Amino acid sequence: MTLHIYNARLLDPASGLDAFGGLIIDGGTIADVGQHLAAPTNAAETLDAKGLCLSPGLIDLRVKTGEPGEEHRETLATASRAAVAGGITSMVVMPDTTPVIDDVALVQFISNQANATALNRIYPASALTKGLKGESMAEIGLMAEAGAIFFTNGDNPIPDAGLQKRAMAYAAGCDALIASRPDERALSGNGVMNSGALALQKGLKGMGADAELIGLQRDIALAQATNARLLVDNISTQASLDTLATAKSAGINVSASISAYSLFFTEDDVGDYLTYCKVNPPFRSENDRKALIEALKTDLVDAVTSSHDPQPPENKRLPFAEASFGAAGLETLLSALLSLVQTCEITLLEALRPITSGPAKLLGLDQGQLKTGTPADLILFDPDQSWLCQREDLRSRSANSPFDGRELVGRVKKTFVAGQSVFSED
Amino acid sequence: MASADTTHSFDHKHLLSIEELTSLDLEHILSLADRYANATRAGQRPMPIMAGKTVINLFFENSTRTMSSFEIAARRLGADVVSMPVAQSSIKKGETLIDTAMTLNAMKPDAIVIRHSASGGVKLLSRKVECAVINAGDGMHQHPTQGLLDTLTIRRHKGKIEGLNVTICGDIAHSRVARSTTQALSRLGANVTLCAPRTLLPSDAAAWGAAETTTDFDAAVTDRDVIMMLRLQYERMDGTQLPSRREYYHFYGLTASRLSKAKQDALVMHPGPMNRGIEIESAIADGPQSVITEQVEMGVAVREAVLDLLTREAAA
Repeated sequence: MTLHIYNARLLDPASGLDAFGGLIIDGGTIADVGQHLAAPTNAAETLDAKGLCLSPGLIDLRVKTGEPGEEHRETLATASRAAVAGGITSMVVMPDTTPVIDDVALVQFISNQANATALNRIYPASALTKGLKGESMAEIGLMAEAGAIFFTNGDNPIPDAGLQKRAMAYAAGCDALIASRPDERALSGNGVMNSGALALQKGLKGMGADAELIGLQRDIALAQATNARLLVDNISTQASLDTLATAKSAGINVSASISAYSLFFTEDDVGDYLTYCKVNPPFRSENDRKALIEALKTDLVDAVTSSHDPQPPENKRLPFAEASFGAAGLETLLSALLSLVQTCEITLLEALRPITSGPAKLLGLDQGQLKTGTPADLILFDPDQSWLCQREDLRSRSANSPFDGRELVGRVKKTFVAGQSVFSED
Repeated sequence: MASADTTHSFDHKHLLSIEELTSLDLEHILSLADRYANATRAGQRPMPIMAGKTVINLFFENSTRTMSSFEIAARRLGADVVSMPVAQSSIKKGETLIDTAMTLNAMKPDAIVIRHSASGGVKLLSRKVECAVINAGDGMHQHPTQGLLDTLTIRRHKGKIEGLNVTICGDIAHSRVARSTTQALSRLGANVTLCAPRTLLPSDAAAWGAAETTTDFDAAVTDRDVIMMLRLQYERMDGTQLPSRREYYHFYGLTASRLSKAKQDALVMHPGPMNRGIEIESAIADGPQSVITEQVEMGVAVREAVLDLLTREAAA
């Protein structure tokens, strides 16, 4: 069965294409794409995009669900429904579940559950250490063979630099990618928001840029020593970007992600102890936010993540210091980036690159581009339509969104995974 | 029998490492050892060329096979042997390494065979004694007679060393055997591949003379003449270097299906002690391609040759 989508604004960060045209889906793949397909044809089935943007589906490197173990927070199925509504056609799920994904059988469990229940493509990330305890290496080679897309110690970096180095060396031998949250816990351990004027005013313990920087410098030094492929996960400060730039220009095999909320919010948004704004890394300064946006104009940052971390009300309706970290993010990832296009800070292609071709390249995936022969994972969206983000409208099982109550821009109209329509607005 | 029939003169006082031996030195030792091995196989007793000489075995690390191998070699040549496992020495009473050496030296032995847990420990002792010192293994550094016996075993089966493709797989980083054997084989012209998880591969393998290092054992087995497996030396590892034995065996265990990718007549070797089911399948260790017990046999012959060469009056 073929479908011809015509009259679309084609946006393909991989090739730099931004032009009116069309695209033909045949089976699960893109059969043809380009400006020559702008007009309707007598294909079996056609779809008039009415000038909407047609781009690769989004790829999200950092999603948490509660499956297995805390299904009341989120399941793979509910997360996938929220994801496709947000245009996310591929996503990596984190291993910090109950039990921890640190064994071949559990990697296979995630893959099987995803195949059986999810609407989008789900890739399991595996624990770098057994039980995420930071004590002994997990079975990296066996889990890589079972389909683990990368290895991470989740939100808790390995404190033992020796173990981190051995794990990175071992992973390098398996050609496995390691993701590491740069965070020196000896400095940031009890912090709940960014170190700064507001934290002082509100009497909250801070997490400084220094803690992130020291963690980052350690992991970059170890990547250089071991030749490991390192993804520094969700960096958030100007200082980290500077260090990353130096490492990349020195030829060290390091890539980086940033969280979408870091592009939108600053520490001041924490306001009067708003626990929906309690996240890790914390919302930083306006200067940091500007620097992160600037980095999107270059290849310095490879991916922007939703950092989706569903937390039920009982984890958030608490004094700020006691509330859980984490924000729901699947349905606001695209809008967070498109808001920067609206304000003319970045272009549409710059907004899409770190959520399509950037992460695809990092993970070695075929999707994430408008190219003949690649998987037909696509979205149709209106970059200008504004909408009110309200937590009761969100599809995620936990709607702890810091965007709650905000006017956002950019709306997904249709989502395709492997040529199949998995989401249509209303 | 007692004199080597080459014009090469072996003028070393000690045997501390393979590194200090030229290819002519190696050939010299191997030829002599070859003849000792043949003689033993033919049921001949060698001439008691070490009669009246004293050899001290000083083992600071536990060893059964190496210590008894040296002891048998020395006795076959007629020497008097005193074996001193560390538990019985005054080292336990707080004597320093050098004091021990001075004490033993005063007893005027002709050779001391030393094993020590610290790299360089044997060399330190050799500076303080007047007799020949043979390194029977120092830390993660050298085990020269093991390198020689591995080389002899291969040479007797293949008729040569030059041009052979040899893969050594296992805990390379912590292995004095890997270092000595790689140096001996590569000095004589073999292409040695070192294979291990990255955490167990040394960074200086090229300096040992290895042709390549790899983490891909399947590729490293293919079309090889010799596969040598090494034990995981947990006692020398600082922290965990591996996820699990299960994963290790999956990627680095020598199984029948892996061995079938090597040459039909490939030799399977292991310096012992073996961990069956961790680095090697039992059926392979006991199979027709295994020369593991022959390595032990060649160990005695090599040690006879080394003791012979180092205690000759002319060499002194």
